[in-house]
Amino acid sequence: MADLIQTLGAGILIGCVYGILGLGIVIIFKASEAFNFAIGEFLVVGSFLFYIFFFDFHLPLMVALPLGLIAAGGMGALIERLSIKPLLGRSALSMTIITLGLASVLRASVQFIFGAHSYSFFIELPDFTLEFGNVLFPSERVWAALLSLLTFLALLFFLFRTRWGVAIRAISESQAKALAFGIDARFLMLLVWAASSMCIAVAGIMISNFGALSYLTGIVGLRAIPVVLIGGMDSIGGALIGGLIVGLCEALIGSYVEPLGLVGFKDVAPYILLLIVLFIRPYGLWGTVRIERI
Amino acid sequence: MLAVENLRVVYRDVISILNGVSLQANPQEISVILGANGAGKTTLLRAIAGLLSIYDGDIIEGDIKLGQVSIKGKESREIVKKFGLTYVMEDRPVFWYLTIEENLAAAAYSRWDGEIKADIEKVFTYFPVLKSLRHKKAGYTSGGEQQMLAIGMSLMTKPKILLFDEPSLGLAPLVSEELFRIIQKLNREGLTILLVEQNAQAALQIGHRGYVLENGRVVLEGEAPVLLANEDVREFYLGVGAKERRSYQESKRYKRRKRWL
Repeated sequence: MADLIQTLGAGILIGCVYGILGLGIVIIFKASEAFNFAIGEFLVVGSFLFYIFFFDFHLPLMVALPLGLIAAGGMGALIERLSIKPLLGRSALSMTIITLGLASVLRASVQFIFGAHSYSFFIELPDFTLEFGNVLFPSERVWAALLSLLTFLALLFFLFRTRWGVAIRAISESQAKALAFGIDARFLMLLVWAASSMCIAVAGIMISNFGALSYLTGIVGLRAIPVVLIGGMDSIGGALIGGLIVGLCEALIGSYVEPLGLVGFKDVAPYILLLIVLFIRPYGLWGTVRIERI
Repeated sequence: MLAVENLRVVYRDVISILNGVSLQANPQEISVILGANGAGKTTLLRAIAGLLSIYDGDIIEGDIKLGQVSIKGKESREIVKKFGLTYVMEDRPVFWYLTIEENLAAAAYSRWDGEIKADIEKVFTYFPVLKSLRHKKAGYTSGGEQQMLAIGMSLMTKPKILLFDEPSLGLAPLVSEELFRIIQKLNREGLTILLVEQNAQAALQIGHRGYVLENGRVVLEGEAPVLLANEDVREFYLGVGAKERRSYQESKRYKRRKRWL
């Protein structure tokens, strides 16, 4: 019993982190219908930017974290300006393909600048270890889930309570209509990319904090694909729930199926689950069912 | 005064849609643009509103002036914000997945003053039906309500000039009659209006001046009452005034098409 609770709890905690990874993809998809395949590399670059502020400059965490996130947002904005903006008004597919190229360029740049070795990564945070009898959740995992949820709430506030958020949801429906009402679609796309890379950076910092950071940490980014496809490509709540589902699936398979001899099966299991979900609901569980006028 | 001078527009560098259009919309008047499908009406409005680039169109000749200032090639947000010119696109340009209230707030994006909330209430006094639907998604409202919302959204940008693209498209006669009344009311309150319409009769009745566009040229212009009485306009746009009844075969449009030039 304790085993099961341990597994479920661990799945939920890591699921929250997957949730904001998914969110990073969802908001870009909502705004431009492009899928950001460079998510793993955004994650690594965001984490390294924080690494520089925190471990190299020895700034206190309360300064280094915001600075790192702002830098990550700036990086997202810069990448949007250089590679995505010239494509505005073209098909979303060309943007998606650009992100594939971006992934290669960023991965190589990180390897070039920081080398291929791992950097040890440990953030001194107040101990939040949860322990109930035989069940134990390590402090850094609890922190990861908490910070992810906070980021999620902040983004929800941004999208639903601020003027930019409403306008972003407007451009995500039709850029032409939005432009006709004087909504500055170009600037808003910049904001979306910045917000998305901040989300991804938060996830990256938390994941690096579980162990070490290297240019290969980006592979975790692939988890975001089943997350958003299960939750629905354009659903914000779906990203969080998709993240939880993938986290739980991974944890359960990891502790109950892998010991049977199927080593590595937990990395495949989310995709099998994804296949089943897509058979039943092609838009994902919470993907928008298009408004049809009848 | 909005003046279009000898405007030529091509799409994708080869498809020539406007071949030298000149017209002007006098302040505080309703100027009506008539024309068959494909005459270039929508392209003309897009060119004025600065939206051609997203449709891969270019102005290759001519100018668009507001007073003495050229707005040719300016970005749409600047045209809306600085020049107070808003384009209400055809087919009810509302955001389906936003609520009515969010639609109005989104349309006010270009403004920074503190009166946005008050102005939303003001729109609700113009269109009381929207008030009861304020938290409903716009995609689930009727066509007439959506068109009223679109007009309300254009008012949220604090315009001085409004361009309407077929506001009566797909609406019941009674609803479109009400829309024309609303447009007339907006005009009486001081707005300059450029109205593109297929419903020539209704449009010319509320309009001051009219232009007939064909193949990307203005082929006829004049005071609205004069146009209403014009033989050609009556026959080709109002569907009255043909001298004798013709057989179905003879009335095929490509055979009857009037050559203006």
